[in-house]
Amino acid sequence: MKRYEVIVIGAGPAGLSAAAEAAKKGMKVAVFDENAGPGGQLFKQIHKFFGSRANNARMRGFKIGRKLLKEAEENGVEVFLNAVVTGIFEEKEVMVRIDDTVHHYKADYIVIATGAAENMVPFKGWDKPGVMGAGASQALMHLQGVRPGRKVLVVGSGNVGLIVAFQICQVGCDLVAVLDAAPRVGGYGVHASKITRTGVPFLTSHTIIEAKGDDHVESAVIAEVDDHFTPIPGTEKEIEVDTVLLAVGLTPMNQLASNAGCRVEYQEQNGRLSPVTIVDEYGETTMSGIYCCGDSAKETAEGASSAMLQGKIAAEHIAADAGYTTEADAEEKAEEYRKTLDQLSGGMFDVKNKGRMDISTTEEGYPISQSLLRHGYITAEELKGFPAASYEADGPHPVIECTQNIPCNPCRDVCPAGLIHVAEDITRIPEIDYSQKCTNCGMCVTNCPGQAIFIVDNDYEPGYATVSLPYEFLPYPEKGDKGKALDRSGTPVCDAEIVSVRTARAMDNTAFLTMKVPAEFADTARFFRKG
Amino acid sequence: MDSDMRIWEHPVLGKYEKYEEPKVLHFTLDGKDMTGYEGDSVAAALKAAGVMTHRYTAKNHRPRGIFCAIGRCTDCVMIVNGQPNVRTCITPLEEGMELRTQYGVQTKEEWEAENDEEI
Repeated sequence: MKRYEVIVIGAGPAGLSAAAEAAKKGMKVAVFDENAGPGGQLFKQIHKFFGSRANNARMRGFKIGRKLLKEAEENGVEVFLNAVVTGIFEEKEVMVRIDDTVHHYKADYIVIATGAAENMVPFKGWDKPGVMGAGASQALMHLQGVRPGRKVLVVGSGNVGLIVAFQICQVGCDLVAVLDAAPRVGGYGVHASKITRTGVPFLTSHTIIEAKGDDHVESAVIAEVDDHFTPIPGTEKEIEVDTVLLAVGLTPMNQLASNAGCRVEYQEQNGRLSPVTIVDEYGETTMSGIYCCGDSAKETAEGASSAMLQGKIAAEHIAADAGYTTEADAEEKAEEYRKTLDQLSGGMFDVKNKGRMDISTTEEGYPISQSLLRHGYITAEELKGFPAASYEADGPHPVIECTQNIPCNPCRDVCPAGLIHVAEDITRIPEIDYSQKCTNCGMCVTNCPGQAIFIVDNDYEPGYATVSLPYEFLPYPEKGDKGKALDRSGTPVCDAEIVSVRTARAMDNTAFLTMKVPAEFADTARFFRKG
Repeated sequence: MDSDMRIWEHPVLGKYEKYEEPKVLHFTLDGKDMTGYEGDSVAAALKAAGVMTHRYTAKNHRPRGIFCAIGRCTDCVMIVNGQPNVRTCITPLEEGMELRTQYGVQTKEEWEAENDEEI
């Protein structure tokens, strides 16, 4: 029986981080993953990540995946793919099926990092071809280069639903609407806004009743729901779609932890029971030497950034226990990682605030936009309450439409003029230092993971202003192209002409588009549509 | 062959590796000639060709297609080169593959012969 000091199950962000970190300390590490490719779900993620530099903020998920994999390989981690772990037995014996053969391995430490699976929501016709998980559409689009459908409805407005809905638009599918049974958009307002301004409606307090079609989905019946999530008779509407994407949460995959004898408790999450593997502050389960980290360990999936840090913390503890590092060093490192983890929590979207409907102001005391929560865009009137969004200056200057407390600060890091500030607590809303002058470099606009920053120049020409915006659709407009400017709700408001399209390596495939609009629309024009 | 379901170029990912110098692969679905590209999963090739139904369930004959696309849910299984229950979303397309829509765990003909009933 082959021995490893550490066996990691799952080659996603948590598993690879744990493996790389343990290997760096000199441990002999193997990673088993049932998939043909490593990286877990990271290679499907193409948006720029939130957070701070310490957790790879503004880097796109698939690039983080590449970096992580390289790190693991360089440190001598052995990654076994198409390797299904089918059981964990006494004395940390791990049974793995590779091809059609069962192999047995032994470990001193086991890290379970199996991630989470997409939830389902039952409705009539949910099993028809054309109804699929939001993650499934990402696999088709980003790994296979194939569209999931032509006319798409997204059910669920948490961050996964919002991110995927935007990606559906990016590949040229017709996104018909984003639904949520809750009375408000569940994910970050900035994610919602970048969809809304392209003209896609958010239907909060709406649910899907039926997916219709003979052999596959041809239409969906949706309806408004009341306060108890019950469809209101008479509000049904049938809309033509061929694809329904479900983004209704994730459930941790705890089977191996249960099988190994670790204590798993079931906790209620949004009306369904979700398994939670009980772990200590290092991620160690109730079985000594067996750790669980990343989304597989959580009652609510927290995503790749947290998973990577949890993996590193587990590896520190393992290395200290095995004598590859001192307890003091491990604790110091773990504390540093915990601090970075803490940065990612906090704010109104923190797990502890999930489902809370009573948060009405930001930590700064600004009233939170109700329109943003209800319809996916903030009104011009509401924006006036935010200094960084209503700041006026001569010449080009940033307008930061970041109005919720979310953990993110790349705008500060990329501003060469030192104009943008974010407090040490990165959930704080960015502030503008009025004594500095904007260089119109476009870095804040193109690097903001929420695409919530615009550069406005009210003095472009007599009677005209320019609005510069982030743009991630093909084909890019060209200088001289004429069309309409859309406002935050996606309504065309005025004529617009493209005066420049800038791209740069540091903008990482987000174009910096500048459009000329009549001066009175400088505060409302936020998207460009050709023609 | 060119399908409007293919994303020839992506604003973030650029041109996919498999589309740089695409190599056409030939396969059959229920005896019908079809093509896909090297680098496609079986499911992706079918999706690009506009095929949505991969199988029908055993009891109620309900159509099923791609659901999770990561090899977990088994909704997209088909008969591939004579072997039933193959997860098409994680099976790479190969030249000359013979795909059959799966009825229960059989081909349509097998199912009809065994159940003495036409679908």
